[in-house]
Amino acid sequence: MKMKFEKYFRPATLDEALKLVQEYGADCKIVAGGTDVVIRLRSQMLKVQTIVDISAIPELKEVKVTEDKAVIGAALDLMTLSKLPELKNSQWAIIAECAGHVSSTQVRNRATMGGNNVNASPSADTTPGLLISDAVVNVIGPDGARDIAINEFFTGPGKTVLKQGEIVVSFTLPAQDDRCEAAYKKFSIRGDTDIAIVNVGVRLGLNEDGTVKKARVALGGVAPTSMRAVAVEEYLVGKTITEDVIEEAATIARDSIKPISDQRASAEYRKEMVYVYVKHMIREAVAKIG
Amino acid sequence: MSILDRSIVVSFEVNGKPVELITAPNRTLVEVLREDLGLTGVKQGCDDSNCGVCTVIMDGKAVKSCCVLIGQAEGTKITTIEGLEGENGLHPIQQAFIDHFAIQCGYCTPGMILSAKALLDENPNATEEDIREALHGNICRCTGYKKIVEAIEAARDEINAQA
Ligand SMILES: Cc1cc2nc3c(=O)[nH]c(=O)nc-3n(C[C@H](O)[C@H](O)[C@H](O)COP(=O)(O)OP(=O)(O)OC[C@H]3O[C@@H](n4cnc5c(N)ncnc54)[C@H](O)[C@@H]3O)c2cc1C
Ligand code: FES
Ligand code: FES
Repeated sequence: MKMKFEKYFRPATLDEALKLVQEYGADCKIVAGGTDVVIRLRSQMLKVQTIVDISAIPELKEVKVTEDKAVIGAALDLMTLSKLPELKNSQWAIIAECAGHVSSTQVRNRATMGGNNVNASPSADTTPGLLISDAVVNVIGPDGARDIAINEFFTGPGKTVLKQGEIVVSFTLPAQDDRCEAAYKKFSIRGDTDIAIVNVGVRLGLNEDGTVKKARVALGGVAPTSMRAVAVEEYLVGKTITEDVIEEAATIARDSIKPISDQRASAEYRKEMVYVYVKHMIREAVAKIG
Repeated sequence: MSILDRSIVVSFEVNGKPVELITAPNRTLVEVLREDLGLTGVKQGCDDSNCGVCTVIMDGKAVKSCCVLIGQAEGTKITTIEGLEGENGLHPIQQAFIDHFAIQCGYCTPGMILSAKALLDENPNATEEDIREALHGNICRCTGYKKIVEAIEAARDEINAQA
């Protein structure tokens, strides 16, 4: 089917882009990589008159990695992100790893982290990495800039707290403790090309005595949005990681979710896969801490 | 790029030649390459970014041209399968596909070859694993991939031997 929009803008600065999205209001759509939007424009699920393409704005592609935080531009392509040495060798390596799991080479060469998260798919691959890293979404809009905690960003499938005219500029990742590592795994039928049936991210920080200081567990594909499994996190804090503790954590994860059955998998199967993957990811995070 | 009332002017380079066109903006790169520029070696299959037959190389990277808006081609350098043949005949990857029977119906072939070229340009020593990873977004319903991977490995060795 033919796309319906009539106007296309390719601003070179964020200021220009902000003016355009304000001027055209609800009748305009932002495009970054286009790997999601273009398909929806063509299927006419999305009918807008105006497209504002933010993929030529250099300031949305900047990455800054320092000791105390990393700031990642919303419109940087996921391929570059997945290979960035300064990110891969940092406390936030998990973000590069998650980016590397989004679909195929061609899609990663275009797709962005802004698009992946504003898309708000419960199976998105970069979202669990952001959730377990306590990321902050840096947004700018008609009323100025605001920061949104990633766990408060999603409100439903395809829905976020973004207001009309707001643009995601970047994601900020705060410093992590020493002895803190993360692991991520996606389960899909045809490898990374496919959308995840479920995905699991775990970040663990250990005290000197080996007990858990901090735990973050994110689950995808099991609820209307990617989610933190807070009950599992609370259970893990203070524990020494043993096989019994891992078993109990995975059981809590499985029992705390109410996934749906759809063409990809049944609810029971999703619960079982979460149970298995939570175990794997806890073990992997612990192994990385060493 | 200038924006007229309902049309846009887009300038880019295709297979080494500059192109400038005035077009409605609501078109994808694959549509323009095929319909306006006659480059029908770029195939259109699923049209929703799954199959990879529309793959072209854009600024050195393999992309699916069915999800690139024509306006997003502004200022880029694009290579399609038509741009691969050199003065001395077929590109080594093209020749290797023939020699290794990596083609059956041929519909996926242009996309496969361009994904392979983008990979080998970036990583001349790509392993079988790298090749399979780079081809993940290209679906072939005929060959079962084995011959395709073999062809690309042979082309890699041929290109490296020439260098
Ligand atoms: C074949 C195929 C396979 C896929 N596989 C996966 C997969 O394995 N894992 C996965 O997670 N996803 C997958 N996707 C989904 C999609 O590719 C990703 O979500 C991608 O990251 C979207 O990014 P984009 O830049 O292309 O977004 P776009 O399509 O450009 O935009 C997506 C949405 O975000 C909005 N938006 C984009 N950037 C901003 C911004 N900075 N500020 C405000 N709004 C913004 C747009 O308006 C739109 O609503 C797949 C898609 C396809 C077509
Ligand atoms: S036509 Fe573009 S991926 Fe199938
Ligand atoms: S040769 Fe027929 S699809 Fe690949």
